Amino acid sequence: MNLALIAIDQLQEDLGALAAKAAPTEMPDAERVARAKHVFMKRMSIGLAMNLESCIDCGMCSEACHFYMVTRDPKYAPVRKLEPLRRFYRRELTPLRWVNRLFVRDISADELREWQELVYDACTACGRCDMICPMGVGISESVHLMREGMAAAGLIPSELRAIDQEQREQGTALDVDRNQFTAIVQELATEGVDIPVDKAKADILVLSSALNLRLFRQTVASTAKIMNKLGVDWTMSSRCFDASNYGYLSGDYPAEKTNTLRIIDAATACGASKVIVPECGHAYMALRWGGANVLGERPPFRTLAISEFIGREIEAGRLQVKPIVNGNSVTFHDSCRLVRHGGLLKEPRIALRALGLDLREMESRGRTAICCGGGEGGNVIGRAKSLRGQAFKIKMQEAEDTDADSVVTSCDSCRYNFITGGAKANWNKTIESLVELVADNLA
Amino acid sequence: MTLLDFAIGPALQWSLMIMIVGLCWRVVGVFLGRWRRDLSRPRSDALVQGGLRAIITRSAPARELEKNIRFQHFTGYIWHIGFFMTVLLYEPHIDFFKSILGFGWPGLPSHLVVFPAAIALAILVMLTIRRMIDPMMRTITRPDDYLSLIIIISALITGLMASAHIGPRYETMLALHILNVELLFVWIPFSKLAHMIFWLLSRYRIGAYFERKGVKA
Repeated sequence: MNLALIAIDQLQEDLGALAAKAAPTEMPDAERVARAKHVFMKRMSIGLAMNLESCIDCGMCSEACHFYMVTRDPKYAPVRKLEPLRRFYRRELTPLRWVNRLFVRDISADELREWQELVYDACTACGRCDMICPMGVGISESVHLMREGMAAAGLIPSELRAIDQEQREQGTALDVDRNQFTAIVQELATEGVDIPVDKAKADILVLSSALNLRLFRQTVASTAKIMNKLGVDWTMSSRCFDASNYGYLSGDYPAEKTNTLRIIDAATACGASKVIVPECGHAYMALRWGGANVLGERPPFRTLAISEFIGREIEAGRLQVKPIVNGNSVTFHDSCRLVRHGGLLKEPRIALRALGLDLREMESRGRTAICCGGGEGGNVIGRAKSLRGQAFKIKMQEAEDTDADSVVTSCDSCRYNFITGGAKANWNKTIESLVELVADNLA
Repeated sequence: MTLLDFAIGPALQWSLMIMIVGLCWRVVGVFLGRWRRDLSRPRSDALVQGGLRAIITRSAPARELEKNIRFQHFTGYIWHIGFFMTVLLYEPHIDFFKSILGFGWPGLPSHLVVFPAAIALAILVMLTIRRMIDPMMRTITRPDDYLSLIIIISALITGLMASAHIGPRYETMLALHILNVELLFVWIPFSKLAHMIFWLLSRYRIGAYFERKGVKA
């Protein structure tokens, strides 16, 4: 068993224990419904209303959803995941609500409980359904609003709730605290990898993530090697090193805001002009696209994903890599949050081409890439393990069809899912991190 | 006043008025909602182009997506084309439009219009049955879906019957067809058939939304 799998086993054991520790969110059913409705009302916008007005129940979205495609279970039809929100909208908000109230049932706490599995376990908000809908309905953003309503109703799945509570209250996630971070930095220093920490002023603030530090600390070392090679003025913060945002994943907006502002404050304090997010799709989504909206204005720095930063530095000629002689063939897995929701299609491929690798693209890539099945917090939910494993098989098949020797990705959650899903399916494909690949081949 | 007089008189005026006012209210009502300005730094400023592009490209999804929806995709195309050919190219319909708009256009001979109408009808019946027997479609189907299908199917059936002089005497059959179409007009703003307006707005919106992130939706 390799080290990553040992660490993953340990993590899964810890997650099970964390779930038991999650503080319960008891409240009367009527209050759950009222809270969910309050959030639906408060967060509704013209764009979201357009989504809810336009659906024609054609069901095409199902044929883009990995959870439905693999199970053929009707309950996983993407648009069905929005049913409580749609009914709320039709009763309370649509211009024709006075007519709809006569025919449309109100939502109930039992339904919200039933929908917990659908919007947390069986949807990674990957947005592939957004790409197929003939009406242009943004289903994934509507699912996020469903999660916000569920969170307000105290219905976040226990594992996710435990981490959300931990991050909101203690500022740490997955038990990775400041002491552990410092210990990892010191350990890497003994291996000759220097990481500047807590510099008063720096041009670039580099973030890691709890998952990164627990499972893939080599990526932290690789990031440091690249930054040091570039000779840029960078730092990490021992008080704010974690880019992950479990508030965002849970739909717990107040926690999302707290976590995002923590990063913005740290970056502003050191005068950073750039913040680099690690290989983590949702962290990029939360900070790059959510940061300004949480703050109420554009923060005084630019947010870049590490793959974006590397691609741009290579393209500009500031970062040189050695072509890998007799390099194996690779296929690249596009993380939904980085590519479909982030626009980072080009940058990782610039890096892979600079490395001289034989890049073999999957059938679904870029904006239509199939999700690995484990994003958006789904990979911490114990009961979702089997469903996640099934959904992963579609991705595995697409990667297998390329006949590439290894799969490269630039998202820790995806990597985690590839490793666990692959191990379960006895799939012997090497899963690599783009950052590690680049750092190992610096010129 | 005969049934036909009623159908081409007050019923037509009222149904058209309900449709227009209802659709306007439904669309304006959405735009009266909260405009949430996205403050994030856009990757692309070409939002209008992104929106307009999506209006067109959504009609032809990427091959890796389309391969799973080929049946729905092509049946959807065929019945819409058949339906609009019938509405717009049948000479009595053109005469009707001329009486309202003041101008007309060349149509197709009646015996030729029967074919697109019959094909549209057959596909709609097939799609209704699919909705009833496919477990996923049954799960997501609402009364609105069946009612919309029934009203359109019956409009096609009554139209075909009137043109072929089948059923009650011609004037009665024609009145029933016109009343059926008027029911369709009234139903549009209250139902998913409002997508005749929303498809443009919604496609534009998703195109602009993703363009902002540098993604061609």
